[in-house]
Amino acid sequence: MTDDSGTLSIDFIAGFTIFLLAFIWVLSMVPGLLVNLQGYTIDYDAVAYRTGVILVEDPGWPASPPWESQQNFSVTRFGLAVSRDTPNILSQEKVDRFFSNTSVYGAFVYPDDYHQRVIFGDYPYRFNVSLLDVENNQLRSVGDVVPEGYGYIRRVVKIKGLSNATIDAPLYKNPDNNVTTHEFSILVNNSGLKEQKNPAYEIDPARDQIMVNITDLRLTISNQTQAPSVNITLTNINVYKLDGGILSLVRTFNTPYIDENSSTTQPPVEVKNNVSLKFSPAFFDILNAGSSPIFINLSFNLNNGGSSYYSQFLNNTWSSPFDYDYDTPEVTQPRLRDAMVEVAVW
Amino acid sequence: MVKNDNGQLYTIEGFAAGLIMVITAYLVVNATSVYTAGDTHINDMQLEALGSDALRMMDIPINATESDNRHSDLRMIIENSEYDIFKTKFLDYTNESGSGPGHDIQFNASYSCRDSSDNIQSVQMVNSRNLTGGEHAVRSTKWVIVDKECPGAGPSLRERAVLVEVLLWRD
Repeated sequence: MTDDSGTLSIDFIAGFTIFLLAFIWVLSMVPGLLVNLQGYTIDYDAVAYRTGVILVEDPGWPASPPWESQQNFSVTRFGLAVSRDTPNILSQEKVDRFFSNTSVYGAFVYPDDYHQRVIFGDYPYRFNVSLLDVENNQLRSVGDVVPEGYGYIRRVVKIKGLSNATIDAPLYKNPDNNVTTHEFSILVNNSGLKEQKNPAYEIDPARDQIMVNITDLRLTISNQTQAPSVNITLTNINVYKLDGGILSLVRTFNTPYIDENSSTTQPPVEVKNNVSLKFSPAFFDILNAGSSPIFINLSFNLNNGGSSYYSQFLNNTWSSPFDYDYDTPEVTQPRLRDAMVEVAVW
Repeated sequence: MVKNDNGQLYTIEGFAAGLIMVITAYLVVNATSVYTAGDTHINDMQLEALGSDALRMMDIPINATESDNRHSDLRMIIENSEYDIFKTKFLDYTNESGSGPGHDIQFNASYSCRDSSDNIQSVQMVNSRNLTGGEHAVRSTKWVIVDKECPGAGPSLRERAVLVEVLLWRD
C-alpha cells in the first residue's frame, strides 16, 4: 500500500489508549472525592449559623427608631440584640415583636417575611427559629416542624427584662388635710437615665416598656372609717416636657389600667385602689424627648356624697416628683435572665 | 514501513500529551477537596460557639445595681474557688435544649494567670469527665477580671485578668 494518508500509527494508538485508561481511572475517583462533601449539611449549617449570628449579635435595621417600633414594610433586617455592643443580650421588645402574631403594626408572616429579613439568599429555605426562656419555662417559635437532616445552631443568650416601679401610695401622701384635688408627679429624667453606659442595664423608655403600679390608694385617706365611701376619681394624666427651662404639656396618657381590669380605661375614671400605667417605647419615641426630662402628672379628685372631700391623699406637689431612675428603691431595675436561641434550616 | 508520516503522532508525543491531560484533569478534580474533608469542622464550630456563649453568659452580671449581683457568676466562682458551681452552671448552659436535639457535652476547665515572676501559672478548675486523649475536643476561652492572687504570687493588690480555658467534646 503506497497511499497511507489517514492511517494511525501504533505509537499514537498506544499513547491514546494509555491516556484514555488513565482518564477513566481519574473519573472513577470523582465520586470517591465527593462522597464526604455532603453539600446539604454544609450549606444548611452555614445558613443556620449566619442566621443565629444575625439574630443574637445584631440589633436589626432600622436602628433608630428601632425596627420593632416600625410598620412591617419598614423593617429591613431582624436582629434581637439590645445593641451592637451587647452581643447575646436580647431585647424583650424585639423578641416579642419577632415571635408575635398580634402586633399592633401587623404580624410577620412565615416564611416570606422572615426569609427576606433574616435568612436571606435566593434558595427557598424552610426553617424554624425558637427561643427557650429558661427562667419562665416558655418556648416560643416561628417556622415549620423540623424534619430529619437539617442545619442547626444553638446560641446561649440572656434576655434583658423590663424595669417597673411599684409605688405604695401611703408613702407619698401629702401632710395637709385640707385638700380635695391631688396631683402625683412621676419624673422620667432621660439625661439621668443615660448615665448607665451599658445598654444591657440601661432604663431606656424609648426602647423598653416601663411600667408604674400605684397601689393602696384608699389607705392614704386620713379618716379610714370614711375611706370606703369616698369616691376617688382619676381625672387626667398629663405628660409634660421640660425643654430649655420651659415646661410644656405635650400630650395626655389615656390608657391606664384601673384596679384589676385587664383592659385600659380612659380618664376620668373612678378608682378603687390601684392604677397601673404601661408606657410603650412608641409613647416616648413620639415625644422626641432626647435628653429632656418628662413629667407624668396624675390628677385625682376626692368627693363623698356628691361634695368635695378634704383629706390627705397621694400627692407629692409639696415635695419632689417620684424619680423613675436607678436609685429609687421602688424601681425594679432591668434584669438579665437565661435563654436559648435555636435555629434549624433545611 | 510507512514513508509518508504526515499527521502521525510519535510515541513520546502521545505519552507527553496524555500525561499532561491526565495531570491537569487530576489537579482539577482533586481541587474540590479543599472545600472540606467532611463536615467535622461544622461540629467543631458549633461546639466552640456554644462554649464561648456559655462562658460569655457566665461572665455577665444579671443586674448592675444590686450589690449581690454586681459581679458575674464566673468572677465569683474563681474568686471563691467554687468550681462545683462552675460545673453545674456550665453544664446547664451547654446541655440545655429547647426544640432542638439533645446534647451530651463534656468539658475540662482551667484558668491561667501570671505570677510575680511573670511566669504563667495554670489552675485546674473542674471537669465533667477525665480526658483520656482520644476525645476530639475544641477550645473556648474568656478573659475574666478577678480580685484574687495568682498561685505563686503575693497577695493581690488590685484586680487582674485571668484566662479561663475550657476544652469541650461530645460523648
